[in-house]
This record gives sequence, structure tokens and C-alpha cells, in this order.
Amino acid sequence: MSVTRDEVLKIAQLAELDVDEETLPLLAEQMSRILDYVAQIGGVAASESARPFVPGPDAARFRPDEVKPWPLAFGPPKLAPAFKDGFFLVPKLGQFEEAGEGE
Amino acid sequence: MRDPGEALASAKAAADRIVKAKRLNAMLTPAKELRKSLDQQAKAAHPSGVLYGMPVAVKDNICTVEFTTTCGSKILEGYRSPYEATAVTKLKAAGALVSGKTNCDEFAMGSSTEHSAYGRVLHPLDKHRVPGGSSGGSAALVGAGAVPAALGSETGGSVRQPASLCGVVGIKPTYGRVSRYGLVAFGSSLDQIGVLGRSVHDAARVLSVISGRDARDATCEDRDPLRLPTVPESLQGFVIGIPKEYFPSDLDPAVRRACERAIRLLRELGAAVREVSLPHTSYAVPTYYIIAPAEASSNLARYDGARYGPRFDGQVDVRTLYRGTRGAGFGPEVRRRILVGTYVLSSGYYDAYYRKAQQMRALIAQDFRNVFDRGVDLLFTPTTPTPAFKAGERLADPVAMYLSDIFTVTANLAGLPALSLPIGRIKGLPIGGQLIGQAFLEDEMIEAAYAIERVFPAVEEA
Repeated sequence: MSVTRDEVLKIAQLAELDVDEETLPLLAEQMSRILDYVAQIGGVAASESARPFVPGPDAARFRPDEVKPWPLAFGPPKLAPAFKDGFFLVPKLGQFEEAGEGE
Repeated sequence: MRDPGEALASAKAAADRIVKAKRLNAMLTPAKELRKSLDQQAKAAHPSGVLYGMPVAVKDNICTVEFTTTCGSKILEGYRSPYEATAVTKLKAAGALVSGKTNCDEFAMGSSTEHSAYGRVLHPLDKHRVPGGSSGGSAALVGAGAVPAALGSETGGSVRQPASLCGVVGIKPTYGRVSRYGLVAFGSSLDQIGVLGRSVHDAARVLSVISGRDARDATCEDRDPLRLPTVPESLQGFVIGIPKEYFPSDLDPAVRRACERAIRLLRELGAAVREVSLPHTSYAVPTYYIIAPAEASSNLARYDGARYGPRFDGQVDVRTLYRGTRGAGFGPEVRRRILVGTYVLSSGYYDAYYRKAQQMRALIAQDFRNVFDRGVDLLFTPTTPTPAFKAGERLADPVAMYLSDIFTVTANLAGLPALSLPIGRIKGLPIGGQLIGQAFLEDEMIEAAYAIERVFPAVEEA
């Protein structure tokens, strides 16, 4: 398995991650090395019907659906990078749509 | 009831020792802030608590309200959690003193604590070597004698591996034994909070306090806290399996010698020792390095600059904000794992990698069930293939670094409890032996560890 520079770029876009142009060759080389290594499990016979193993309780337990105030060490204004007049400040979502259309 | 002044004295002594160990770069909390908090905690601690006055440092991926929680990452620089982990709440309720936040590999991704945005942690016995990881700060502080115990976290061996390299005890409980509420998620089907201690008893009593049900974590089992066993006179009645796959021909000779000596000792203590086979062991690391990055790529999607930590300030739209913040905020190892995780989950590769890894995980878990079903109580193995390695030695080759976890990832994949304890030294560097137990039978594992620790020459050269 050899991962190309363009594939790394595509994956980085899917992962919403900026990757420097100069680090691309090294990243491609390291990803190829890792994917080559992990691909060895492909050669092991495993029953398609085998039930995937997941540790933990057999079924998710649910709490009563009640709204309970939970004391926090500090209030919402400190929970995010920007907060004003009772709202979290983030860039406008409309810009996201416009940027997405061009890709 | 103990003397209410005891905790104050303990707090001051702990702060002094932690400050003295500053050269290790194991503690992220500034000294002044640490002293102030320890003093406040000591005054508030209840003398009837079972851990009254005991200093316990906490890995920086476990939320505390007293200190920042950065996960060793620039993307969470200065982040203060509005709530604390259940494990931390339980420690405080038992009278323990939360003794600052320990340095770790970024988001617990690493085996050497060289991948922290706040600099690498030094091995307490040799500054040119690594303390292991990702809970390297916790292991180094316990190893240096600064604190008797510390919390760490395990996804693939991040408590046991550094415990082994630093010559301390590390316990990873069964998946579901300890609440993960407030543990920053990395690989959710693998993550568990664990404990590092200077002795089996120190680690076990902290584990006992933090274990047990928690309504805030749906993966935490509805069970009472762990009851500590007594120190046994012998291991009569125990059947201990030695999995042959954990003793490959290229195993470090000193590690092999130390393990062989430990196995002789197990027999002398009265245990029945038999060779067993876990045939899918060699596929555990590749399986882990598909599942863990896949889960990490999903869990770390939340760090986008909108909700946590510093925000990339050159944004013109949301996508630029996300990509810029994540690109600048994550270090190289986290970026690599996010990319690998995204790759193995992407269309066209999902079946070949992720689905196949899930099947392998089932086979690895079945290997353990087969052995335990045949009357084996515990397994004994080396914890790591080598003693502490030199800083920088494995940074260039990620796979070489991943192989440091070759003997530890299996217990995480199978959700089993496991414990590392010192079994000797080579040229002054500690060697660890590992016990792997059956799900929720930590008491048996700890009982055997008590017996080994009581008679074992842990500092003897192998």
C-alpha cells in the first residue's frame, strides 16, 4: 500500500485538517508504512459471521429522562472561545455553505 | 480519626517533592498554583477518608476543576473544565489530595511521552531515556518518589508500559470497572482510567476508591467498588498461564531472564504454572492501530476552534477555522493518527481495514476466553519487550514506536484487567512483569501481585 501525496491531501480534507505542503511527502511515507503494517491482518481467516467483540455492558443503561441542574465550576461564558450577550460566537454558517459549493 | 493537621503536612511535603522533581518535566501545574491548591484541599479533606492526606497526581487528560486540562496539546492550552471526572471526585471524597496534572503524550497518543506539546518527560533514572507513555508524567513522578500514586489512562497500555519502564506498579482495570466520566475520549471502546503506584498496595487502594458504578457513564458497570484482597502467604491454588507468544525469539535477553526468574518464583510460591497459547497475539498491534485511530478520528472531531481552546485567528469561513485550528493545534502524532483513522474509515477501505480489525479483535478476545475456560486464573508475561529506550530513538519510525505496546494492547482489545510490577533491573533500568486477569477479577490479580511483590528482588540485576 503506497499512499500518494494527493491521497493524503484528500484524507486531510475529510478530516478537516490543514497539512503543510512541505510535510506532505513525509506524511505520505509514514502513512504508507503504517497502512502496510496494519494490512497484515488482511491475510488472516476470520469468519464473516463472527460477532464483533465490544467490551462493557451488554446493553446501554439509561438514566431517567429528567432535567437536573448540574453545578458547574463556572458558567457558559467561559465554556467557549467567544461569548456575547448570552450567545456563543462562531463564524456565520452561511460562509460554510458558500465555501463548500466551490469545492 | 486521624490528626487533621496530617494532610497539611502531607500536602507541603508532596509539593516540595514535586517541585524538586521539576527537571523531569513531569508536572504541568505551576508550583505556586499547586502549593495553593494543595493547601486548600488539605484544609478541606476529611480525616475519616480512606486516602486521607494521600497525594495523588492526575494525568492531564482527566478533567479537574482545580487545574487546567490540556491533554498535553496546544489545542487545549489553558482549557479549564467546568466539571471534574468522577474518579477525581471519588479521590477527593476519600480525603486524597489532587496533586497537579501530569504531562503526557498529546491526547494519550504515544508510548514515550515525547509527543507532548509541553516538552518530553525525562526518565527518573536516566535523563537520556524515555519514561514510556502515554502516562509518562505520572510514572516518572511516582518513580521519582514525588507522589505515592497517580492516575493515568489506558487505551493500549499507557499505564502499564510507563510503569514497567519507570519501575513502579501500574494497574489497568477491566473495561467498565472505573467511570470514564471526565476522561477525555481517545478510543472509546478501549479507554480506561488506571492507577500507578510505588507499591501494589498503593495502586490497589487508589483503584478501589475510584472503582464502582457511576450513572454518568453508560459504559461503567453497575458494580460495587473493588474490595481489596489480603496479602496471601502463598499462591497455592492459583493456575498461572505463560503464553508462549509473549516470549518471541527477539525478546530482549534481560527481559527474558527477569521473566524466567519470576516464573520460577511463581512456582516456589505454590502456583501451578503451565504454558498456554494465545495464537492471534501477533495481530494485536495492527488491529489496535486500526481501531484506536479510527475511534480517535471521530472523538477528536470536536476540537475545531469553535468550542475548545485557542482559535485559529486567520479564519474567513467555518471550514478555514476548523482546518486552521486543527492543523495548528494538533501535533504530528495526533495528526498522523487522525489521518490514518479517517483513511481506514473512508469509503472503499472500511471493509479491508476497520471491519477486518473488528473481526480480529473478536478472535483475540476469544483466545483469552479459551485459556481462562481451561482453568487458568491469570497470565504472566513481560510488560514490554525492552527496558526504557533512548529519547528520539523511535520517533522516526511510528511502527517501531507502536511495537513498544506489543504485550499490552491485547488486554485493552479484550477489555481485561492487567497489572505491571517491577521484576528486576538491567544496568539499573527497571523491567516489568505483567499479570493479565479475568474480567472483573482484579482482586485475584492483585492478590497474586501482593505475593510476588512481597518476595521479589525487584531491584536485582537480571
